[in-house]
Order: sequence, then structure tokens, then C-alpha cells
Amino acid sequence: MPKKINVKTAAGSVIYPTLFGAAVIISWQTGFLHKLLKTDEYVLPYPTKILHIMHENSDKIMLNVQASVKVALLGLLLGSLIGYFIAIIATVFPKYGSGGLTIVSAFNAIPIVALAPVFINWTKDVSEEAEVRSMVAKVLVVTVTSMAAMSVNAYRGLTELPPFSDDLMKTYAAGKVTEFFKLRLPNSLPYIFTALRVSVPGSVIGALVSEYFAEYIIGVGRQIRENILIAQYATAWAYIITACIIGIAMYIVLMIVETIALRKRK
Amino acid sequence: MRKLRNTLAIIAAMAIVSTAFAGCGSSESNSSGASADISSAETDGDRIIAAAQAGKVGNWGLGNEYEILALLTKYGQKTEYLSQSFDMDGFDDGSITLASAMTYNELGLVKNSYEGGYGYGDNVGIIDMNDEGVAMLEDNLFCTKEFAQNNPNTVKAFISASMKGWEYACQNPEEAAQIVFEAGSSVSSEHQAYMASEVKKLVETDTNGNAVNEYGKMDEEAMQQTLDLAKQYISLDDSSAASKLQNLTLDDIRDTSYWTDAISGNFGVPEKNSVSIQLKWLPQCQFMGYYVAKAKGYYDEVGLSVDIVSGGGDIGETTAVNNGTVDFGVTWVSNLISANSGGMDLLEIAQVYQRSGLVLVYKK
Repeated sequence: MPKKINVKTAAGSVIYPTLFGAAVIISWQTGFLHKLLKTDEYVLPYPTKILHIMHENSDKIMLNVQASVKVALLGLLLGSLIGYFIAIIATVFPKYGSGGLTIVSAFNAIPIVALAPVFINWTKDVSEEAEVRSMVAKVLVVTVTSMAAMSVNAYRGLTELPPFSDDLMKTYAAGKVTEFFKLRLPNSLPYIFTALRVSVPGSVIGALVSEYFAEYIIGVGRQIRENILIAQYATAWAYIITACIIGIAMYIVLMIVETIALRKRK
Repeated sequence: MRKLRNTLAIIAAMAIVSTAFAGCGSSESNSSGASADISSAETDGDRIIAAAQAGKVGNWGLGNEYEILALLTKYGQKTEYLSQSFDMDGFDDGSITLASAMTYNELGLVKNSYEGGYGYGDNVGIIDMNDEGVAMLEDNLFCTKEFAQNNPNTVKAFISASMKGWEYACQNPEEAAQIVFEAGSSVSSEHQAYMASEVKKLVETDTNGNAVNEYGKMDEEAMQQTLDLAKQYISLDDSSAASKLQNLTLDDIRDTSYWTDAISGNFGVPEKNSVSIQLKWLPQCQFMGYYVAKAKGYYDEVGLSVDIVSGGGDIGETTAVNNGTVDFGVTWVSNLISANSGGMDLLEIAQVYQRSGLVLVYKK
């Protein structure tokens, strides 16, 4: 690809969004956004006020962030492992594979708001400690929601091989096991990241929404709901911004890991 | 056959995961068993302490928890509680041993055996917030200060007709229950009838158990207690809101003059004829006065056409009134206090419930 175009597109993909973002923040701070959306500075407080509250309560916010991130990461890890495991089973036993994947995908169609209360009730016997059983329930919600993306994508990575590569392996007289480790597994790596791009933001949403229903009161999601209901919109917005930062930060980490992991392929 | 095997494989995989979790949890299950059991406690104080130590006191949170925090503090316990869902399943299955309940709603579901009830009958006992001295006033009637200033006659006419509705509803609770049920009820007619009879008690009795015959009266002492407890137990992360809360006086949250004029019939032609009222929850006898006033034509008599907007879920009645979506609202005094601390300009114009309807319920 010619270098010139590359620079141009790169600049465009950075400058235009930045300008747009700046324009939104300026119109928000100056009150123009309020007129546009026909709302007041009460429901939509000014950015400076939100940042001030975030600064004032950084300790409390960090405590809630830790709880939410722990749920999101544990659930993501568990869901991705199970999802990948299901994809392997589906690859090794292709006859039975498609059915299993369909069922896992069907799980993904269940809304989190429906799933969360069910898991909360289901895990009541897990522990006497509300903190533990609420944690388990929240992690399970994230697990189920991040399972589907991984299993479907990993299955594609394990089965959609480069043309004739399968035949090439056969000419080397490679066994099924060798073929799996030397060809299928490396081939699935980019697909794992495709899955994670979907499930990383999904895991944050899953964690926040399941906090709404959990018995043990903690987390960024719970704070958002709590503050909106007692009409503390500025504080609620502080937690909404926090939630955005968590999602973006996790996505950036994923992008960095992906760049490093797939470096040799490009 | 093929699909069946796959299904079984997946179910097995999930079972492995969940048992793995169950294992890691159950190892800690005996750690809290040392404290006294609530069923062997003999006084309410012992029950509260036992449940608090075991971490099994439940409340819905979301602005409904302040009386419970005050009660836990009174008995020297940590102000922690479990988040209770809007059914009583947590109480039923024993994960919450001291559960929050409104006398007119959840308590009826726990005791009675009609549709949706758990049928415990007299096998449960209650701890009353009024008796414990931590009562905070609940359902009131409010609007914005601006609306009250611009439409004084509308406000007075609305209070007058609404209180007439409350009076009729309390004198004829069964008829009121039927009116609410027909107006679009969220619960069974038996539960509505139960609710009407319990709400009547809250409207006609004060926190000390004395009879109140003036509907909607703002009792100075009970209002002050509510404000004092609110200052102690409402914690706001926004420091400017928190300091505003500490400086609030009763005059910042209520004005008795509208009610006084309304009761004595001292008001003129309403400035605004078509008004709406936002309820705090789903249509039920908790709000029977307004439904009765509408059905009996009391609003028409004072020249008002009233639209009753039901709430429920996450609808914030304070926000709806503040941004002008509706003219009047029903909320708890504590919620109005936190809304005004956060910068809203709301004004209580009548206090319908004269005592707290919140109790903690336990199995005997």
C-alpha cells in the first residue's frame, strides 16, 4: 500500500473524531447541548461538575471499579475458556459440532436483564456470605454472555483453514493431533481476538447490569442506579463516565495485546 | 440424537463450572454461624442484632433504606444490608431473616395466602419503625415551588379535592379498593382490599399512635424527625449537595399555607385546569385517595381535570415533576429532601401518610 494514503487515512481517523468529541464537550459545557436536547443542567450536569465529583470521590469510585472489573475479567476469562473448549469439541467431533454451537449462540440471545435475576436466585445456596454468592452470580452472567462470541469465532478459526493447508498436512503424513496443534490452533488466533472485541465491551455491560440485581451492594452499575433514583444526577454521571472509561481502557489493552500477538502475521 | 448428545455435553460442561463455584463457596459457609440465631432471640433488639451480625437484614436500597440505617445504628450495628428484590422470595428462602416490608404491601403478601401471597399468617412477627423511634414520613404530595407560586389556586383546589378523596377512601376502604382495581390495578382485588385497610391506618394514625382527623396535615414534629434522620443517613457523594442537605430547614421543603387554605375552602378559580399527578409506584391502593377523588368527581367539582400517571420500576417522580412532565407528584419526604439537596426546587404541599409504613418482618 502506498505510504501517502496511509498517513492521510490515519490522520482522518484521528483528527475528525477528536474534533467531533471536542465539539460535543464544548457545546455540553456551554449549555448549547442542553438546548439541543431540550434538557436542563440538572439531568445533564456540566462536565466540570462531573469531573469535580469524580475527583472528590476517587477512593470510593476505585473501590467500585475494582469490584466491577473483577467480575468482568473473571467472567470474560471463564466464558472465553469454555467457549473455546466448546469450539474444540465441535471441531474434533464435527458431526455433533453445529448443534452445540447453535445452542451456545441461543444463550447469547437471552437479555442480561432476564439472565441476572435468574442467576442471583440460582446461586443462593452457593455461600452463606452474600458477597461471595453475589460475586458468583455476576461472574456467571458475564460467563454466559461472553461464551457465545468465543465459541462461534473460535470454531471458524479452527475449521476455516487456508486453501490446501489441510491437504499439505496430509502429505506430510501428519496425524490429527499434530494437525490440530500445528495448523488449527495457530490459525484460530486472529479469530480469538475477533471474539474478544465483541465480548470485552459485552463483559463490562454484563457486569454493570448484573450489579443492579445482586444482593451484595457494590459496583459501578449499582451506583449509577442508586444515584439516579435518589435524583443525584451529577454523581450518577460520574459513575457513567467511569463505566465508559473502564470499557475503553479494557478495549485499549485488548488492542495492544492483539497487536503484539499478531505482529508476526503481517 | 446428534443434537441431544451435544446438548448433554454442554449441560455437563456448565454443571462442571457451577459445581466448581459451589465448591469454592461452601467452604466458607460455616464462618458466620457463630452469632446467635434470630429464631432464638427474644426481644426485637436481639433479633435486630442477630440478623445484623449474620448479615441478613434486607432492604430495597435506592433511597428506601434510611430508616433501616437509623435502626441499625440505634442498636450499635454496622449500617450494612442486603439488597432485597421487589418480591419476598429472599425472606421466604431464608437468605434474608429480617426483611423490609411495607405494612400495606409486602407484609400482606407474606401473611396472606391469596394470589401472590406466601401464606405465613401469624407465623411472622414485625418490628415497627414508629415504635423504634426511627420513623420517617413517606407518601406526600408535592410540586415545584415555581408551579405553586404561579398557580396557587390550582394547587389549593387540587389539595382540597384530593384530601376529600382520601377522606372518602378511608371511610369506605372496600369501595376505594374496588375503584382502584377498576382503574387499572397491578395486583389482585383481594390484595387491593388488604392494602386499602392498611393504608387507612397510616393516613389516620400518627407516629405515636394517636388518631389524626385532618387529612394531609404536616405534623411539625414528625417532619422535623424525618429531616433530622435524613441529614444523618442520606449520604451524598456530591459535596455541594451534601452541604446543602445539612443546611436544609423545614421551610426549604414544605409550605403549609396551601394546605391550610385548601382545607378551609379559601381559594379561587384554578389558573390551570388540566393537571397531572405522578405516582411513586404502580396503580394500587397506596394512592387510593387520588383515584377516589377522580372517580367520585371531586376534581370536577373544583374545576380540575386530572390525569393520574402511574410510576413503577425506575421512574423518578421527583425528576418528572421537576422537569415539568407532570404537575404534581407523590414521593417519600426523604426522596424530596435528597432531590432538593441535589439542586431541585420541590415543595411539599400536603403530607398524606402520618406514620411510617415500613416494618421489618421475621419468622417466629
